[in-house]
Amino acid sequence: MADRAEIVEAYADWRTRCNDNERLRRMLRGWDRVVHLVATDTGDRFTVVVADQRLAALADGAEAVADLVVTATSEDFADLFWGDLNPSEKYMSGEITLAGAQEDVMRLDAMSMVAFLDQ
Amino acid sequence: MADRECQALVVGAGYAGLAAARELLRAGVDVLLVEARDRVGGRVWTDTTAGGAVIDHGGQWIGPGQDHLQKLADECGAATFPTFTAGDGVEWRAGQRHTYAGLIPTSDPAAAADGIEAIFELDLASGDVPLDAPWEAPDARARDEQTLGSWLAATVASPGARQVITVAVKSIFGTEPGELSLLFTHFYLRSGGGLMNLARTTNGAQERRFTGGAQQGATFLAAELGPRLLLSSPVTAIAYGPDGVEVTVRPPGPVASSTIRAERVIVAMPPALSVRLDWSPPLPGRRDQLSMRAPMGSVTKVHAVYDRPFWRDDGLNGQVVSDDGAVRVTFDDSPADGSHGILLGFIAGDECRALDAATPAERGRTAVADFTRYFGPAAARPLEVVEQHWPAESYTRGGPVAVFSPGLLTGFGPALREPVGPIHWAGTETATVWCGYIDGALSSGLRAAGEVAAALAR
Repeated sequence: MADRAEIVEAYADWRTRCNDNERLRRMLRGWDRVVHLVATDTGDRFTVVVADQRLAALADGAEAVADLVVTATSEDFADLFWGDLNPSEKYMSGEITLAGAQEDVMRLDAMSMVAFLDQ
Repeated sequence: MADRECQALVVGAGYAGLAAARELLRAGVDVLLVEARDRVGGRVWTDTTAGGAVIDHGGQWIGPGQDHLQKLADECGAATFPTFTAGDGVEWRAGQRHTYAGLIPTSDPAAAADGIEAIFELDLASGDVPLDAPWEAPDARARDEQTLGSWLAATVASPGARQVITVAVKSIFGTEPGELSLLFTHFYLRSGGGLMNLARTTNGAQERRFTGGAQQGATFLAAELGPRLLLSSPVTAIAYGPDGVEVTVRPPGPVASSTIRAERVIVAMPPALSVRLDWSPPLPGRRDQLSMRAPMGSVTKVHAVYDRPFWRDDGLNGQVVSDDGAVRVTFDDSPADGSHGILLGFIAGDECRALDAATPAERGRTAVADFTRYFGPAAARPLEVVEQHWPAESYTRGGPVAVFSPGLLTGFGPALREPVGPIHWAGTETATVWCGYIDGALSSGLRAAGEVAAALAR
C-alpha cells in the first residue's frame, strides 16, 4: 500500500519525465483532459489535468468532471509513476482499468506505454 | 416457371445472411435462405478435435462493443470465457527469442515506443473518417491513393516499429500492408475502435472466446429458420429485372438444378465471391468493378493440440510476435477447463501464399516447427494438428476479410451497399461498425433486411 504522499512524490517524478519527453509532448497535442485516479484499496482520489501538451501537478481529490477515470491499487499507482511498472501488463490483466470515451482511453493507454518505454 | 417462390431470398448463411433471414421471418416476410455448404456460419466454423476439444477454424473472438454478437450470445445462452493472457509473450526478433509483458514486444524499447506512437498516429488519423461514407473523409482521394505500406515507409523511421505494425496488420487483414488502401485502413480501424483495440486481447477485440465455439449463434439462428434454410444449395446464377429475381441453385453431384423466384434477394457473400455468379443482365459496371478491387485476404489457421498447456508452466501466455517463419502470431487457444493445451498459429499474407501449394500436413509441420522455436521442445510433439487454409475453401476463397485496394472507396464506394434493382447486399464487408468482424456481419444483415422489408411494404 502506498500513502498519498508517496503517490504525490512519484507522480511529480513521472510528470517531469513526461513533460521533458518530446514524443509525449507530440502525442498530447490537442488533448486537454481531466483525468481522475482512484486507488481501489485506499479509496484515495487524485486529479490530473492535461493542458497545452503538459501534465499539471497532481491535485488531491476528484476535482471537476473527469473525461477519464483510472483505477488501480495505490501501490500500482506509485510503481507506475516511479517507472517500475509496465502499465500495459496491468491493463492486460485487468488490474488497471480505464473508463472514458474510446479515443481518450486509446490516448492514455498509448502515452502511458510510451512513458514506461521511453525512460 | 420457378420451382419455388418466396418474397425474399437470402443467399449465404453466414452470420450476415442468417441475421437478415431471421429478421425478415420475424417481420412476417415469406423468406428462404440458401447456403452452398452443408453447414451454416460461413467464415465461422466450429469443429471438435479427435480428443474432444472445441476449436474454431474461423472467427472466434468477442470483445467489448460488439453488441450485436453479445445480444445473440445472450439470446442463445452461449457462454464465453477470457482469452488466456496471464504471463509473458514471446518475441522472436532477428533470430533471437525474448519474452515481454503487455501489448508490445519490448526487446528494443525505443522501437517499441516508436511502434506505439505509429499505432497512435494511425488511430488518430482514422478519427475523421465517416463510417457510412469513408469516401467523404477529408483528403479521401490522397489517402485512397496511398497504401498502409507506403505510409509506414514514409512515416515510421524505425524498422522495428514497422515490423510490429506489419505483424499485427497481417493477422488482422490477412494481407501485406502494401496491398491495403490507407483510406480503407483508416476506415477499418475506426470501424473496430482503432488498431490498439483490434490488437488487444483484454479490453480489445480478442478479449473472450465462446466455450462451445463461435458457430453456436449461427446454429441457433438456423434452428429458428427451420425448413426455410436450404443447405448444400449453391447458387450459380441470378437473373433479375423489375419484377424480381430468379435464382438458380445447382447442388453438387447428380442432382438437377432448381430455380427460386423472389421479389427481392439479399446477397450475403464477400464482394469477390458474389461476382462469380452468372448475372443476367450483367451487374452494373460500378458494382462489378468494386468487387474486382476487393480480393480476399490470405490466412491459414493452425491448431496444435497438446495434453496440457505446458507453456503456462514457463510463465508464458502463449502469444507470439515474430519477424520470421510461417507462423508469426500465436494465441493460447486451450479450452476454458484447461483439459487440453492448444496453440493457435496464424499464417498470413505472403507466408500463407508461399505455402499454398503445400499439403495440409506440410503446413502443419511447418507451423509445429515454428511453435517449437517459440515454446521449446515440448511443442514438437502435438497430439494432433488441425489446419484450415482459407484460400482453398470453395465458398470463401480466403480470409479473414476482403481487402479494399487503393481507389476502391473513392472510385466505387457507394456501390458497396447501393441496391441494384431487386438486389440488396449484406456481409461484413458492407458493415459500417465492426467491418470484417462477426458483429459487422450481423448488423449488415439487419440493415439489408430493413431495406427489403421497406421495399416489400411499398
